[in-house]
Amino acid sequence: MIKINNLYKSFDGRPVLKGVDLEIRKGETLVIIGRSGCGKSVLLKNIIGIIQPEQGEVMVAGQNVSQLSGRELMRLRMKFGMLFQGAALFDSLDVYENVGFGLIEHSGLPKEKIRDRVKWALENVDLTEIEDRKPAELSGGMKKRVGLARAICHNPEVILYDEPTTGLDPIMADMINELIVRLSRQLQVTSVVVTHDMTSAYKVGTRIAMLYEGKIIADGTPDEIKNSDNQIVRQFITGAAHGPITANRNHEPADPEQPGEMEGRGKR
Amino acid sequence: MGKARSLLEYVGSLTVLFFKTVAASFKPPFKYHQLIDQMNKIGVNSFLIVFLTAFFAGIVLALQTAYAMRQMSAEIYIANIVALSMTRELGPVFTALVVAARVGASIAAETGTMRVTEQIDALESLATNPVKYLVAPRFLALVLMLPLLTVYADFVGIMGGFLVGVSKLHIGADLYLKKTFEALVLKDIMTGLVKSVVFAFIISIVACFEGMRTRGGAEGVGRSTTQAVVNACILVIAADCFFTALFYFIW
Repeated sequence: MIKINNLYKSFDGRPVLKGVDLEIRKGETLVIIGRSGCGKSVLLKNIIGIIQPEQGEVMVAGQNVSQLSGRELMRLRMKFGMLFQGAALFDSLDVYENVGFGLIEHSGLPKEKIRDRVKWALENVDLTEIEDRKPAELSGGMKKRVGLARAICHNPEVILYDEPTTGLDPIMADMINELIVRLSRQLQVTSVVVTHDMTSAYKVGTRIAMLYEGKIIADGTPDEIKNSDNQIVRQFITGAAHGPITANRNHEPADPEQPGEMEGRGKR
Repeated sequence: MGKARSLLEYVGSLTVLFFKTVAASFKPPFKYHQLIDQMNKIGVNSFLIVFLTAFFAGIVLALQTAYAMRQMSAEIYIANIVALSMTRELGPVFTALVVAARVGASIAAETGTMRVTEQIDALESLATNPVKYLVAPRFLALVLMLPLLTVYADFVGIMGGFLVGVSKLHIGADLYLKKTFEALVLKDIMTGLVKSVVFAFIISIVACFEGMRTRGGAEGVGRSTTQAVVNACILVIAADCFFTALFYFIW
């Protein structure tokens, strides 16, 4: 379904992705794990062409994303739904306009149909009667769920989750995990989840890949990852302060997109 | 050398955004409610601040001119000088500077916050072009409202001068107005309006450009807001200098 070949990307001369090869199969939930700032979000944004790679390619259903024309790229993006780390709701719009954004802008459907669809999307994330509220009036967990409703509203084939459980309390995080599992089963979508939260990774993933120093260093089922011999993977999944990852201080990551967002391993 | 190159790159990037915005502005579907909303935010809400600026500028201009003219006993000409200075120069420039500060800052802060909270990425992920959705309505609203605000500032400034002329210098109201209309020809107002359209291009594009390239959280938003206002003001004055010289020689 999605094939990433030898992808390179750097910011201000600092390489972030250094030859990523990864395949995402139809219907699976692939979890990409890695330290904060290691380029997981950058990888996700490369998939839908928000960020363009310097080298390599992302093939989605046989099309090279970086070579698509503006119109083709827009059409391709409608096949995707993306949940952003901070939900990224449009704060000038209310919940209805946020969730229905894709349909209001592009579908040409009548208002009643869009309203029904928004209601359906909100019910899918266990929310009702909040269409008229502004994002500022919502709690963190509600924002994430509204963001998720927005991602599924236009019936995408693939849902991309950028750190879906970051910043939530453990109970809300687990609710989001259950939502991810339920949605991927019910809607039969392919999901790509980027996270550093191992509880979440084991719970939602049918396959887990680890991104380290700009490359995929491990790829397998949750059980295979759990039992991996790779010392880097072991340090990460067990959340140990000492090990090969921290042995070389020069490899301390810094989020290329959001400077100042260093949060260590950020384990819940 | 490096500075000259980065200046060229900056102006080049602004030009690219300008053409993208013009193209997006004429491409359907047209979002009228967004445009009206922006015209209200950018234009209608600026009337008071433009009124105050132009009114005080008109008064000061009349007083300073009167001071100079008194030495030649030619106070009556302040009507002409105020009318010409306001319409050709001070009206468009003061309005643009005030709007650059008020509206430029707000556009840069809003789009900058949208950038750092990934709302612009979210727009793109929902197959929406940020230039069409964010930049075009602000650009069009400014291009429509800044000339209107400029005409308003011209009028208010002339009234400020009128107040000084009539109350302080005891020029008859009829005579003052007659002198004003004698001095003004359509060309004077038109040159001011042409400038104001160019200023609208500058303010909207600089503010959106600075906002959209924001990086690094709240600090970044602050930085790009400052940069937007400073760059817009400098470019407005530079463009004013260029167009004044151009009109002087060719029109």
